Amino acid sequence: MFSIHLPVIVLLIPLVTALIIPVIADRNSALLQFVVGSAMILATLLVAIALSGTLRGEIFTYYFGDWLPGLGIEFIINVFSGFMSLLVLFMATLILFYAFKDISHDLPEHLIPYYYTLIFLMLFAMIGMIYTNDLFNLYVFMEILSLTSCAIVSIKRTGKNLLASIKYLMQGTIGSVSILMGIAFIYMASGHLNISTIAETMPAIWAAHPQNVLIALGFMLTGFGIKAAVFPLHTWLPDAHSTAPTPSSALLSGLVVKIYLFAMMKVMFQVIGIDILREVGIQFFLVLFAVAGMIMGSVFAIGQKDLKRILAYSSVAQIGYIMLGIALASPSGLNAAFFHVVSHALMKGALFLSAGAIIYNTGKRNVDDFNGIGYRMPFSMTVFTIAAFGMIGIPGVSGFISKWYLSMAVMEGGHPWILLVILFSSFLNSMYYLPIVIKGFLCAECEGSPNVMGRDSLPASMWIPMAIMAFLIILFGLFPQLIMNITGQMPHLFL
Amino acid sequence: MHSLWIEFLDHVNYIGAACLFVVGLYTVITHSNLIKKIIGINIMETSVFLLFVSIGFVSGAKPPILAVGEPGGFFVNPLPSALILTGIVVGVAITVYGLSMVIQIHKEYGTIELDEIVETEKEIKTQIFRKQDDTSHV
Repeated sequence: MFSIHLPVIVLLIPLVTALIIPVIADRNSALLQFVVGSAMILATLLVAIALSGTLRGEIFTYYFGDWLPGLGIEFIINVFSGFMSLLVLFMATLILFYAFKDISHDLPEHLIPYYYTLIFLMLFAMIGMIYTNDLFNLYVFMEILSLTSCAIVSIKRTGKNLLASIKYLMQGTIGSVSILMGIAFIYMASGHLNISTIAETMPAIWAAHPQNVLIALGFMLTGFGIKAAVFPLHTWLPDAHSTAPTPSSALLSGLVVKIYLFAMMKVMFQVIGIDILREVGIQFFLVLFAVAGMIMGSVFAIGQKDLKRILAYSSVAQIGYIMLGIALASPSGLNAAFFHVVSHALMKGALFLSAGAIIYNTGKRNVDDFNGIGYRMPFSMTVFTIAAFGMIGIPGVSGFISKWYLSMAVMEGGHPWILLVILFSSFLNSMYYLPIVIKGFLCAECEGSPNVMGRDSLPASMWIPMAIMAFLIILFGLFPQLIMNITGQMPHLFL
Repeated sequence: MHSLWIEFLDHVNYIGAACLFVVGLYTVITHSNLIKKIIGINIMETSVFLLFVSIGFVSGAKPPILAVGEPGGFFVNPLPSALILTGIVVGVAITVYGLSMVIQIHKEYGTIELDEIVETEKEIKTQIFRKQDDTSHV
C-alpha cells in the first residue's frame, strides 16, 4: 500500500533535517524548535505506520540503485527493525523536547543548532544500522554513529568532556577497526557482503575455512563488545555518559549502546548462525561476561558519588542483563533481551532526565547533597523513584517484568545458578538506588523546613517527557503483553 | 625451505597486515602522547585496508576493465578497492575529529601528554577537596 521508498524516506528525514538546521541557525530559536519537533514527529509517525504494516505480515525491502539482491545495499523493515526504529525515534522525540529548555543550560547559545544537527545525524546512523542488511554499510553507519556520539559528548568543551570523548574515540575506533577486520575475513571466505547471502553460503564456508569464521567472530565480538560496553571493555562508558549534557547522556545510555548490541546480534545470529555458535560453544563465555558485567557494574556504581556517574555505571550492569538474554540464544532469552531493551531505554531515559532536571533546578550533582530534595522537586524525584524501582525490579514496574522473563529464560536454558546472580545484582541495584530515594524523601534534618509538596518549577517541555516515560514504565509493568506481543515475533528472525 | 619461502611471499600482504595491526594497537595502548595515539589508530586502519585490498587480488588475472571485442577471463575483484575508498574517507574523518580534540585539549591543559593531564586533573580534585575542608572547618 506504501511507496516502495519508505525505508529511504524514513532515513532521509533526519538527514535532511540535519542539513536544514545550520541554514536556519541564525534565525529565532522558535523556528528551530518547530523544525526539530515536526521532523521528529513526522519520522515517528512514518515508522509507526511501517510497523503496523509489518505487524500484518508485510516486509519492506529496498535495493539501492535497483541492484540485484546480493550485489547492492539492501534495507529491510521487518517487525524487529520497524519496532526498534520506532523505539529510537519515540525516545529521541521525548528527549529532544526535553532538550529544548535543558540544553541552553549546558551549551553556549551559538552551539545549540549544531547540537541538533549532530543528534539528527546520530539518529540517521542509528536507523541505518537497524535497517541495513549489508555488512559494509553497517560499518559505515557505525562510524557515523561513533563520530556523532563522540561529538555530542565533546560539544560541552570542558576539560573533562574532551578527555572523556577522546577516550571514547580511541576505544571506539579500535572497536570499529576490529569489526572491519572481521568483515574482511568473512568477505575473504564468502565473497559477499549481503547478510542474507552470506548466511546461505555459511555452511560451505564453515566446512572449507573454519579458521576464517572463527577469526572473524573473535574480531567482531571484541569490536562490538567495546562499542556496546560489555563488561571488561566498558571503561570508556562512565566518563563519556556522565560528563555529556543531559539529553546526550539519555540518548547514549538509553539508545546508542543497544544499537551496537543489535548489530552484534545480526553478526552472531544472522551472519554466522546459531548452529556454528553452538558448535564453537561461545555462548557459555558470553554468559560469563554478561554475569560479570551485571555484578561489577553495580559494584562500581556503589562507590560513586556523582549522580550521573552512578547512572552510567548502572548502564554497564543493565547491558549485562541484555547481553545475558542474547547469550542464552533461545527464543525466550532473546524475547527477554528485547523487552529489557525497551524497558531499560525508558527507565534510563527517565533517570537521566530527572537527574538532569534536578541539576537544572538546584545545580546539585553529588548524592550527598540530596537530603530532602524530594520536598523541593517532588515531581522529578517521583519520576526518579519510579524508574529506580524499575531498575531494582520491584513488581508493578517494567524492570520487574524483564527480570522475570530473563529468569524464566535462564531456567529454560539450564543455568539455574544465574538466578542467584540476578537476585544478587538486584540487591546491589537497590544498594545504590534506594539511598538516593530515601535521602530525597525522608530527610531527618529537614524536620523544621517547610513541608510543601508543590510542583517543581520546571518548564512544561521538560516535565511532560518525563511524565510520559514514567507512565510508560508503569504501563508496561502492568500490561507487559503490549510489548511482549511484538517482541515475541522477533526471535525467529534471528534463530 | 624453498616452498616455505614461496608460501611466505604468497601471503606477504596478510602477514604485513597482521604486523601493522599489532604495531598500531601497541602504539595506541602504550603511548601517552595523544597525537601518537592517533597515528597508531591510523596504522591500525591501514592494516585493515591492506588486508581488504589484498583479498580482491587474483593472481594472473586482468584489471577489471572490459574492452570491446576482447575475450573475457579472470578479472581482479574491484569491489574491495571501492569499499576501501569509503574506508579511507571514514579514517580521515576520525583523524580530523581526533586532531581537533587534541587542539582543544592542548588549549585546556597546555599539554598533550595523557599522564601529565591526568596529574593536573588529580591536582584540581585535591584542591577542590581542600577548599571544601577549609569551608567546613570555618
